Amino acid sequence: MMKERVSILDGNTFLVSDRRGNIEPSFDFPTGLFSFDTRFISTWVLTLNGEKLHALSIDDSQSYRTRFFLVPGEPTHYLDAKVSLIRSRSIGGSFDEELTLLNHAEQEVEFSLRLDIGSDFADLFEIKHKRRKKGRTTPTVGQDELRLTYRREGFHREAVITTTAPAAIDESGMTFRIRIGPHGEWTTRLHTATFIYGARGEDIRATLPLGGHRSVAAIHAEQDELIARAPKLGCDCQPLAGAYRRSLNDLAALRYESIALGVRLLAAGLPWFMTLFGRDSIFTSLQVLPFLPELVPPTILMLAALQGSRLDDFRDEEPGKILHELRYGETAGFGEQPHSPYYGSADSTALFVILLDEYERWTGDGKLVRLLEHETRAALAWIDTYGDLLGTGYVWYLTRNPETGLQNQCWKDSWDSISYSDGRMPEFPRATCELQGYAYDAKLRGARLARTFWNDPAYADRLEREAAALKERFNRDFWIPEREYYALALDPDGQQVDALSSNIGHLLWSGIVDESRAAAVAQHLLGPRLFSGWGVRTLADDQARYNPIGYHVGTVWPFDNSIIAWGLWKYGFREEAGQICSAMLNASRFFQGRLPEAFAGYERNLTDYPVQYPTACSPQAWSAGTPLLLLRVMLGLEPQGEHLIIDPSVPDGMGRVELLDIPGRWGRVDALGRSRGPHDHERDD
Amino acid sequence: MGEAIERFFAALPARAPAVLRGPTSGLLQIDLTCGNRTEHWYVELAPGTVRVSQEQARPADAVFTVSSELFEELVTGREAGMAAVLRNEATFSGNVVLFLLFRRFFPDPPGTRDPRETARRHVGRSG
Repeated sequence: MMKERVSILDGNTFLVSDRRGNIEPSFDFPTGLFSFDTRFISTWVLTLNGEKLHALSIDDSQSYRTRFFLVPGEPTHYLDAKVSLIRSRSIGGSFDEELTLLNHAEQEVEFSLRLDIGSDFADLFEIKHKRRKKGRTTPTVGQDELRLTYRREGFHREAVITTTAPAAIDESGMTFRIRIGPHGEWTTRLHTATFIYGARGEDIRATLPLGGHRSVAAIHAEQDELIARAPKLGCDCQPLAGAYRRSLNDLAALRYESIALGVRLLAAGLPWFMTLFGRDSIFTSLQVLPFLPELVPPTILMLAALQGSRLDDFRDEEPGKILHELRYGETAGFGEQPHSPYYGSADSTALFVILLDEYERWTGDGKLVRLLEHETRAALAWIDTYGDLLGTGYVWYLTRNPETGLQNQCWKDSWDSISYSDGRMPEFPRATCELQGYAYDAKLRGARLARTFWNDPAYADRLEREAAALKERFNRDFWIPEREYYALALDPDGQQVDALSSNIGHLLWSGIVDESRAAAVAQHLLGPRLFSGWGVRTLADDQARYNPIGYHVGTVWPFDNSIIAWGLWKYGFREEAGQICSAMLNASRFFQGRLPEAFAGYERNLTDYPVQYPTACSPQAWSAGTPLLLLRVMLGLEPQGEHLIIDPSVPDGMGRVELLDIPGRWGRVDALGRSRGPHDHERDD
Repeated sequence: MGEAIERFFAALPARAPAVLRGPTSGLLQIDLTCGNRTEHWYVELAPGTVRVSQEQARPADAVFTVSSELFEELVTGREAGMAAVLRNEATFSGNVVLFLLFRRFFPDPPGTRDPRETARRHVGRSG
């Protein structure tokens, strides 16, 4: 299905159409032109002499530009087409489309070209759950433009479509009556501007520090500049080179200027998550740190500035908590959804501390750590206060907004993600295992920050004592001795929720796993129940709720695998980490280097290729970040003091991997690794 | 002007040490509209302190514009600041961080309970 759609994007403005370039109203998948969570165009259908067109080919090699080559009629009878149409479009501040009609006949021909245009101004959240709009849409016909206006109280959005060639414009589109000479052509340029009105009727984006809009040329220049700044990769492994390049491109494309915050942030994923997420932005930041550290501070600063300050049941907000999700649309504004911002995640707060520490270790930017001392202490305090809902020394979650809040407030946030082996689901509150790992890591990293930057050794000692006690407690309460893995969660009675899941891989990353148990955890991760051949499944295939195409209950998530590989490396399981790196990079070949949000958990030898999850987001920031983190794992890059440790362990068959100009507190250094498999010798010679 | 708003501004200096812990400082102008009248408040935010005035000493670093009716809802916790901005019922310009910082003075919605109490009641335990 995904291949049926064509997307272009710039930041959080994006357009999704069918393969002919048409947009027809849809309520299952977000097709149309979107910006800041509002759909500005929901109908955009081209017909020639009353007939729809068919695509001969599509050029979509760039993230912000697509070209369609179209002929009239159905695929079966296009071959004798006497006319063809080139539809060339781009996104960058506005949506621009150039239509060129080519007459292949030897005589003059008259055509009627019609473009149906409409907008429902749906909020992204209204696409899954269709509702009657509370505001009013008014079309206004002008000389060479069609203006679509939506108003609900002070909320005011507008789409203005102009044409360079004369057209008969009505409230639902434009008709071009054209005469083209023999072998001649005709062209019009359609320009669609979107407006988000703020104070005094000005577009909010016009008053932003960065100006909001980027032209296509500016996008191109910015992407090139970002890629030029990133370390250069030289390698024998084509999938790795392709995935690296693609990732940098996608990360550049996903940057947008927040209308609420006025800074450049990374959108999480097209099409559903084109906004700021606490968890996603933190994991993506962790992945890209060794490559593009300058992308990280705006995210840290904004998460800190939006830190929870009060108790608010509707938004699941508590003092010290780091946000889950900020939306810009109508439903957030009018309180029909809680994302203004919503705080329903139990991991982002600890992850925030982890990111700040990791960021300083790479960059040496102690100034930011000092600047955010209060926010970081507040985050650490949250872990032991509001985070520990039951007062048992663990982080728990329970939404206070049962209507529109999230039930599961961990990265696996779908309703059925947390279950016992036999498929039953536990009561709330729930304490999933990885939350405890993050809390442990946050305390240790917080201790380093307190000792090094805040001049508070007593606080550092306390955090370290608490971390040690948490590790001991965790290894007692979560470990299932007879199965040799950690339970997915504890239920409110303190009983183990005993499913075997990928979450145990995150525990390795956090360092909360007892050394003596790490080998058993690694064996499970690479064992047949969890490892599909393409990666580690979210849930083991013998668990009752396992479903190879279940969002968090059997699919393989590239981001999840990148964190697991990092964890395996931390505990010295280089070969196992390499196995995950190889599997992911092999999978990426089937997606032209662009790892999707998730793919199916089928056995590799069953399908021979990774089957994309039906509604997976792509590009997705933390999937784009995955090849970067895998590179770090394979090259064994770890800051230590003022230096970068390079300790490569490149998987068999990958040959040479060379990363030049890795930025950090050491300036820039190069890393070189080479695989030592039996068949790599030939390559060496 | 509502009494709640007066009380809110009057209490800011005393609350500042607990709320303004970071190094950020700057002048936030708050324009409260009521019919065709606009009342200006100037809040000088600095580490641990707030100075409130209705006289402008220098150009503000950020301006928050809102009806006095909505502002009263904000200072009593019944409305949320960012949501009001998203629906364009309130607007701000200038340094956004000052507005986000100021937002920390807005109280809990009336009747909000400690989530730990809610959770422990949920599982049938007493605090």
